[in-house]
Amino acid sequence: MNGKTLISILLIFFLFLSTTMYAQDGENLFKSKCAACHKTSSKRAIGPGLANVHKKYSKKWFKSFVSSSQALVKSGDADAIKIFEEYNKTVMPDQELSDAELNALFDYIKSANPVATGADTDQVAEEKIVPFEPTKEDILIGQNLFSGKQIFQNEGPSCISCHDIRYDAIIAGGGLAMELTDSYDRLKKEGLEGIITGLPFPQMKVSYQNHQITEEETTQLIAFLKEVSEQRYYQLGLTSYKNTLLIWGIMGAIVLMGIFPIFWYKRKKESVNKRIYERQIKSRN
Amino acid sequence: MDVRSQISMVFHLDKCIGCHTCSIACKNIWTDRKGAEYMWWNNVETKPGTGYPTKWEDQEIYKGGWEKNMGKVRLKGSGKAKSLLNIFHNPHLPVIDDYYEPFTYKYLNLIESPEEDTQVTARPVSMITGKPIDIKMGPNWDDDLSGTPDFARNDPNFKNLSAGEQEAMFQLERMAMFYLPRICNHCLNPACVGACPSRAIYKRGEDGIVLINQNVCRAWRMCVSACPYKKSYYNWETGKSEKCILCYPRLESGQAPACMHSCVGRIRYLGVMLYDASQIEAVAASDDEDLIKRQLDMILDPFDPKVIASAKKNGIADSTLKAAQDSPTYKFVKEWGMALPLHPEFRTMPMLFYVPPLLPVMASLTSNDVEAQKGTLNPISKFWERATKYDATIDTIFGTVDDARMPLKYLANLFTNGDEELMKITLKKLMAVRLHRRDVTVGDLNKEMVAQSLEEVGLDTEMADAIYYLTSLAKFDDRFVIPAAHREQAIEMSEFTGDRKGSAGFGFTEHPARGL
Repeated sequence: MNGKTLISILLIFFLFLSTTMYAQDGENLFKSKCAACHKTSSKRAIGPGLANVHKKYSKKWFKSFVSSSQALVKSGDADAIKIFEEYNKTVMPDQELSDAELNALFDYIKSANPVATGADTDQVAEEKIVPFEPTKEDILIGQNLFSGKQIFQNEGPSCISCHDIRYDAIIAGGGLAMELTDSYDRLKKEGLEGIITGLPFPQMKVSYQNHQITEEETTQLIAFLKEVSEQRYYQLGLTSYKNTLLIWGIMGAIVLMGIFPIFWYKRKKESVNKRIYERQIKSRN
Repeated sequence: MDVRSQISMVFHLDKCIGCHTCSIACKNIWTDRKGAEYMWWNNVETKPGTGYPTKWEDQEIYKGGWEKNMGKVRLKGSGKAKSLLNIFHNPHLPVIDDYYEPFTYKYLNLIESPEEDTQVTARPVSMITGKPIDIKMGPNWDDDLSGTPDFARNDPNFKNLSAGEQEAMFQLERMAMFYLPRICNHCLNPACVGACPSRAIYKRGEDGIVLINQNVCRAWRMCVSACPYKKSYYNWETGKSEKCILCYPRLESGQAPACMHSCVGRIRYLGVMLYDASQIEAVAASDDEDLIKRQLDMILDPFDPKVIASAKKNGIADSTLKAAQDSPTYKFVKEWGMALPLHPEFRTMPMLFYVPPLLPVMASLTSNDVEAQKGTLNPISKFWERATKYDATIDTIFGTVDDARMPLKYLANLFTNGDEELMKITLKKLMAVRLHRRDVTVGDLNKEMVAQSLEEVGLDTEMADAIYYLTSLAKFDDRFVIPAAHREQAIEMSEFTGDRKGSAGFGFTEHPARGL
């Protein structure tokens, strides 16, 4: 078997796969990639509900938005900007999907909601919101889970390693991922749940895919994030080292620079011959 | 008693003519390399003067040597705690300007320049930067009292001398000087060894030569600041410190060190001395006034059977013992008590001894009858119209020693830690030998007076003749009694001599190793 035949066999194999399997793939794709933030109904989660997408936008627009929403926003597309503004400039992560997969997704969303009417939006407004009232224990456990004082049941990394938060009981966290102080305000319980269980962000996916955070832990974390969000205006913010470290560093340097000359006051400061050399130069001029 | 052998040296300052041949011989052999241009393992200084590096004797500047602290001897500028504090910046280190910026001249300009309207010159260029410089300083910039206001008047040895005494030294008619050649003293209690954080410096067991292992040296430069004689130098090219090695490769093959071999005035003597190493710590910590006496007491009599037995127990070879018995340095230092260590107050117990100079002491100024002199000259002849004359004649025994041109206190600050009596006795010994020899060869002196002078300093005619012989007539083999090296025995401690012999000539100095 030479190289050419191998390549053509592989090519045929992939073509076959992508054309015949995409129909049932759409659902799986939606569940794994989109469901964390989107619903197929018109109900709003983190992102907008996707019913009627096929009516509102062209297939081409849909594909380019999913591939890179930010690129579209930057290119000045009016629709894209509108959505971005509406959802508090929450960035939708780019999805690395093939053309066939995007087609499958579009078709799935279309088929999942064949009869969507304008009444949908009213339904949402009428839906009764169940108030989320966590207990103090939940908040405390959530705090411990966040800071890593208590490890996750499935041994996932603690949140603090990537996320920072303005909360006096916790020292400053990492700067890799979003600052989560007002996350509850922005995303509410459903949104946070979606992110924690759905793992839409690539780095989170890598970290937690094999170390899923349990349902109970998710609730406890959200309870803690709610507390943080509510208490954020009462925090002193002293645990953030951003400026403190710099200020203390400068102050320490000044103090040390003051002490060293006292310690080494009697040191040899210049060449023994300095005076002679200077006089030599003076007389030469 | 822990008897060890030490190669020691005596420099006879009365014989030094300040020609710097020793410095050049040393430079040619050892320090004519990149990074070593400014080093002078051997240098000759004019005294009074500030020396090289400038004011090296002033330990308030450089913090070299040892000091007595709570009954114990401790390094003045380094030591464990101090070294740790100063590990990234040693504040007592001399800078290149304290030595001098080494320079050469662009001699090739003189040969290769095309024809021009103006005279071609060989500009001075720095040997560090390679750029043209204005020469500001050299290793003997104050030679023969040049630049006196800047150098000689700042001599650190003027401490304890009153302003009047100092001023008197610089009156034109009284002005006197002598030369002080210096090499590494190969001390018994070396401060450089004590200060090295890498333990790269060691005192060789068989002959006491202090060496720096170039493979172990880590460029801390604590030895440079610790050595009170500033005889350890940092090579900025190799990043290692270097110092006088007493030409050990020459010594091992029975030759005198280059500086000594080439000495025009034949001022240098070299020989073995035996000493009791168990006393080093106690002697180094002794009181100021006992320092010299106790150091000399540590040096053992090589004829004493007890010393010989003890030396053999320590593995000192018979040939070394014989060399110790014939040693000219033992005679000068111990038998005759004429040689003194330089700056014993640094407490390193230097093993280079100096016979102090008599000449600047002996000659005096007497009044001169100008009128009588005029009568003997015709009107055209020129004559010295000063009412004083340089006078080296003697009217009373030792009269001139007491009335010296160079204050005894100054010499005492150099060689006896301020002990003027000891300095006076040493000078009187030199004077007594001269009186004796003048009596023998000229016979114009009062015999009684000569005998009295010898008796007063504890010499007899036989000793005086021996001193005269070793001072004036001594041949090469009298001046340098070099013991057989017995490297084979020293090597035996660390490797099999057969291997060493078999691999000689192939990877002998740098062992070839497996791998890249």
